[in-house]
Amino acid sequence: MEPVARLIDVSHRYGGVTALEAVTLDIPSGGMAGLIGPDGVGKSTLLALVAGVRRGQTGQIESLGGSMGQRAHRAAVAPRIAYMPQGLGRNLYPTLTVTENLQFFGRLFGQGAAERDARIAMLLEATGLAPFPDRPAGKLSGGMKQKLGLCAALIHDPDLLILDEPTTGVDPLSRRQFWELIDRVREARPGMSVLTATAYMEEADRFDWIAALDAGRVIATGSPEELRTRTGADSLEGAFVALLPEEIRSRHKAVPSLPRPQSGGRIAIEAEGLVKRFGDFTAVDHVSFSIPEGEIFGFLGSNGCGKTTTMKMLTGLLDPTEGTTKLFGRALGRADMAARLGIGYMSQAFSLYSELTVRQNLVLHARLYGVAPARRLARVAEVMAEFDLAEAADAMPESLPLGLRQRLQLAVAMIHEPPILILDEPTSGVDPVARDAFWATLMRLSREKGVTIFISTHFMNEAARCDRISLMHAGRVLDIGTPEDIVARRGAESLEAAFIAALEAEAESPAPAPEDARPASAEPTPHKRFAAGTRLYAYSWRETLELARDPIRLFFALLGPVILMLAMGFGISFDVDRLSLAVLNQDQSAASHRLTEGFTAIPQFALAPPFASPADLPDRMGLGAVALALDIPEGFERDLHRGDVPEIGLTFDGAMPFRAQTAQGYALGVLQDYAQKAAVEEGLGTTSPVGFETRYLFNQTFESANAMVPSVLMLILMLVPAVMAAVSVVREKETGTIANFHATPVSRIEFLIGKQLPYLALAWISFWVLVILGLTVFSVPLSGNLVALGLAALAYVTATTGFGQLISAFTRTQVAAVFATAVISIIPTVNFSGLVVPVSSLGDGGRLFGLAFPGAWFQPVSVGTFLKGFGWTEALSATAVLGLFAATYLVFAIISLPKQER
Amino acid sequence: MRRLRNILWLTGKELRAIRGDRVMLVLIAYIFTLAVWLVSDAGSTEVDHLATAVVDEDRSQLSARLIDAIQPPLFAPPVVLSAPQAQAAQRAGEAILVLTIPPDFERDLHAGREVTLQILVDATAVAQAGNGASFLRQTLSQELSEALSPGAESSDLVTVVMRNFFNPNLTSSWFSAVMQLMNNVTILMLILSGASMIREREHGTIEHVLVMPVRPHEIVVSKIVASGAVILTASLLSLVFVVQGAMGVPIAGALWLYACGAAIYVVAVASLGLLLASFTRTMGQFGLLVIPVIVLMILLSGGMTPLESMPDWLQGLLRTISPATHFVIFAQAVLYRGVGFSLVWPEMVMMAGMAAVAVVIVLARFRKVLAG
Repeated sequence: MEPVARLIDVSHRYGGVTALEAVTLDIPSGGMAGLIGPDGVGKSTLLALVAGVRRGQTGQIESLGGSMGQRAHRAAVAPRIAYMPQGLGRNLYPTLTVTENLQFFGRLFGQGAAERDARIAMLLEATGLAPFPDRPAGKLSGGMKQKLGLCAALIHDPDLLILDEPTTGVDPLSRRQFWELIDRVREARPGMSVLTATAYMEEADRFDWIAALDAGRVIATGSPEELRTRTGADSLEGAFVALLPEEIRSRHKAVPSLPRPQSGGRIAIEAEGLVKRFGDFTAVDHVSFSIPEGEIFGFLGSNGCGKTTTMKMLTGLLDPTEGTTKLFGRALGRADMAARLGIGYMSQAFSLYSELTVRQNLVLHARLYGVAPARRLARVAEVMAEFDLAEAADAMPESLPLGLRQRLQLAVAMIHEPPILILDEPTSGVDPVARDAFWATLMRLSREKGVTIFISTHFMNEAARCDRISLMHAGRVLDIGTPEDIVARRGAESLEAAFIAALEAEAESPAPAPEDARPASAEPTPHKRFAAGTRLYAYSWRETLELARDPIRLFFALLGPVILMLAMGFGISFDVDRLSLAVLNQDQSAASHRLTEGFTAIPQFALAPPFASPADLPDRMGLGAVALALDIPEGFERDLHRGDVPEIGLTFDGAMPFRAQTAQGYALGVLQDYAQKAAVEEGLGTTSPVGFETRYLFNQTFESANAMVPSVLMLILMLVPAVMAAVSVVREKETGTIANFHATPVSRIEFLIGKQLPYLALAWISFWVLVILGLTVFSVPLSGNLVALGLAALAYVTATTGFGQLISAFTRTQVAAVFATAVISIIPTVNFSGLVVPVSSLGDGGRLFGLAFPGAWFQPVSVGTFLKGFGWTEALSATAVLGLFAATYLVFAIISLPKQER
Repeated sequence: MRRLRNILWLTGKELRAIRGDRVMLVLIAYIFTLAVWLVSDAGSTEVDHLATAVVDEDRSQLSARLIDAIQPPLFAPPVVLSAPQAQAAQRAGEAILVLTIPPDFERDLHAGREVTLQILVDATAVAQAGNGASFLRQTLSQELSEALSPGAESSDLVTVVMRNFFNPNLTSSWFSAVMQLMNNVTILMLILSGASMIREREHGTIEHVLVMPVRPHEIVVSKIVASGAVILTASLLSLVFVVQGAMGVPIAGALWLYACGAAIYVVAVASLGLLLASFTRTMGQFGLLVIPVIVLMILLSGGMTPLESMPDWLQGLLRTISPATHFVIFAQAVLYRGVGFSLVWPEMVMMAGMAAVAVVIVLARFRKVLAG
């Protein structure tokens, strides 16, 4: 039979790290094929390459009978492949409900409304999600998320279903239900091939065919049975270890199963009736247990069942809503510093400082835990030897393999030799050899040093090594006892079966067992062009829903412009008035008073207390309290009448050049007026025969706000929509939902325009809100055609959102997108688009730079429509140019956004 | 004692973290060197190369002389246009000032008749148009009096001796360079302190620290101290070597006094950055929140346009909530006007008060956020 996928000599590298090394593999079709191996051996890369989600580097990759290197083939098979990336609900949208998520995926495959509804109803029924159609995906348990992810993958009846570690972090019951579901789907669609990866060796037993991977190479293929016989191991995990290269295998030591010495029977940890509520959600519901000193206590349960919350309460990180914790008989109080010295804690994710080396991390923790200075270095050396970290002492933690990093975390947790260790899933994702080494260390700590260890895990073989375990579900402890007792009590064959039995007894409803899981549909695929519209709409619709449910983004998009407009409209004012004027009138004559009055008569000057001598001036001006000082000498009037041309002094505070310049302008005006009046009324001097008539056009009252509001409109509609649009694309990269773009038939142009439309609409609404604000709050006169300006604004926001999308193609993180967009857009908009400096005053370079951005084209139309009576002629020509900007940005964004991951 | 030691060690850790962040270091270096120089050289609110058009209906020697008098740097070389052309140019924003010299201007003038020169101003260029018009009048008057009575002593009624304190030639880069430096302190401080908190929350390291015998305030203080020290040092170096050294802007006041005030300001802004960070979960959200705050703080600090031009209620509000307004007053007084401690202490007290309030709010928020 033709293989469903074939790899010939495929290698793949990320930077200098090799993910796959010369892999040649035929994956059989029509069955369940699995990749096994620990984290980071290249499983995900292989799956992504087969799915066409990632672009191949070297070697030949064929899926469903054609080369994935060919664009035409990828486009042709995209609707036949379903890809579910790694991570709980990673390709789902957490704020969207179950149904909304599935509606989105249905639309991505161009399905019509009736077809979608029918399929969704069927899938929800089949997976047991039917009772929760309106629950947001983010609020589902891990198992339910994965079922929803499976629904999303199955919505278009794929021929090849690719699942990347679909059950990691899911409880045993949900895990079993998940695989049963897959079996039922396969019964209904016998031709479908399933390709999956898993880190749980027990699960791999149900696959028809397995490829074992290690360090980017395939080390064995065959059925589970074949692998076991070939290696002579009794479990698949044993078989895997046996297949590893000699040098790795030699490091493997079986975990010694040492008996626990009878200790004095002191109780190390005692929890009584612990309750933690977040709002009306009870995360931990009356949990009690007591753990004697030196015991290894295992804590089992699915993701989100309250394990981590319980552990955080034991460490004092969270205060319980009810109940108490006692450590060695002493109640744990709020912010209990002494108790913290007695606990070593290791959180689920790597939580040491990645910017410090291994040694620096250890030293910092030794200091913070108050290890005595004399003993500090010795202690650091001790743990480095004990946990085998000496070679990596000066390495950065991020460069270390996962197993070594976990040892470092444990070393840090042990630096102050605490009698209690609390470890939250320390071995998640670690390969079997390193996991066993880790457990050997735990055994030694417990048995030799009497350390009490409280550990949570998903691995049943680890649970079996604990002295006692507790099973937790939905915030409650279901059972506590030694592994053997629990198995016996439930009458089960294995610990896993016992766990499942306990969970099933708890389940609100029995596991769904629908008779027909066939998500089939007889409806024909819709017309191609219509499908493109549906896919585009899928993104617009989803973006709108997500935005509506994200308070921070919504705040920025809607209130941001209003706040900025109010602040800038009121705040950026060039209306210099009430400039404080201090006078030193040494003449005290009628003429000198008349001169002073000339200044105070206009609103631009306000009289400040007079100054006594010129020597006082620097101090008076020191705090900016005096903008201008007038010094009228003694004998001013006398000289004036004699025609001796008296000399007066005007001193300006030059600290703010703009203010000084304005004050100079007004002062010169006052003096000219004074001379004119003196000439006419008293016959002093000569009148100039030339008069000046200065007329202020377009803004007769010469108010800042009239000109600033339309200009600021340009600035705000550049900044906010561009940042929003950039974030919307980069967010998908960061959260992982970009996988849906890579894995479905949606095209780049549909994706970009679909995501742009909601922001464009929002920005255009913002435009009208800002216009209303300008007309009402700032009373800006309107002399032109507002409808025409509206059209230009539509073109402008299309261009600015397009600009944001272009930036997003080059940025990977949201924070980079925000700042890059802001920095790149603000400089040309503020400096070179006529906001403060008229474009006509700029040099050629500045002018061209400004004109290379849409702001410089929109600003004249905006100002012109309000103040200069602009109409359709001006607006239409600007609209044309802005439209060209929008089109250019779109084209470049399409070119720079790869449809495949690299 | 123990607390002080914890703060010290955590501060050391923060400094190492900043040192490890290449992108941030490059950004800091760029912003305090090139960016200060670039932006202070760019657009300003002063009259500079104002586009002027002349409608010369006289076409006499005198009118040509007047046109020649309109010169850079205040004005761009004038363009002579017909009346309708000039009207169109002004409407299109290509000419801010339009001077109209009436027909028979020179003849009428020599005949002793009163004549009027018309100046039309595009009042949408609010920053430059008003000053530009008065400078144009001034320029023309001078040229006229020289043309009409060459060599004569000034026909003015009084002589005006104009002096500008602190910046004799009103060089705008003196002003904008220092203001730009202050804007940069605000921007980087907000981002650096906020980012240091969010990075820890995103990486889960904050939890790890909190299970240790370390109190939340020790973490907060260490972050403020570390990021504040970096920015303060960078800004002082930039002031001395870039602004004073490379750009030649004279610094009037005592550097130590400025450093003290800047240290207080840096604490206030760092606390504000941490406060904003406590409302967000990811760097992306933080960015969306911090950008409007940065824009508002800078535009309304009084460093862009004079504080006293703002409405009274806004001035009052800003003086109460924004440390930036006080820092601008303080910095202008110390750096430009060479004022001593005896005059600026009230501004320093205001900034210190705001910093204290911000730190207290951050600590309260911080406990709450970590509990949730």
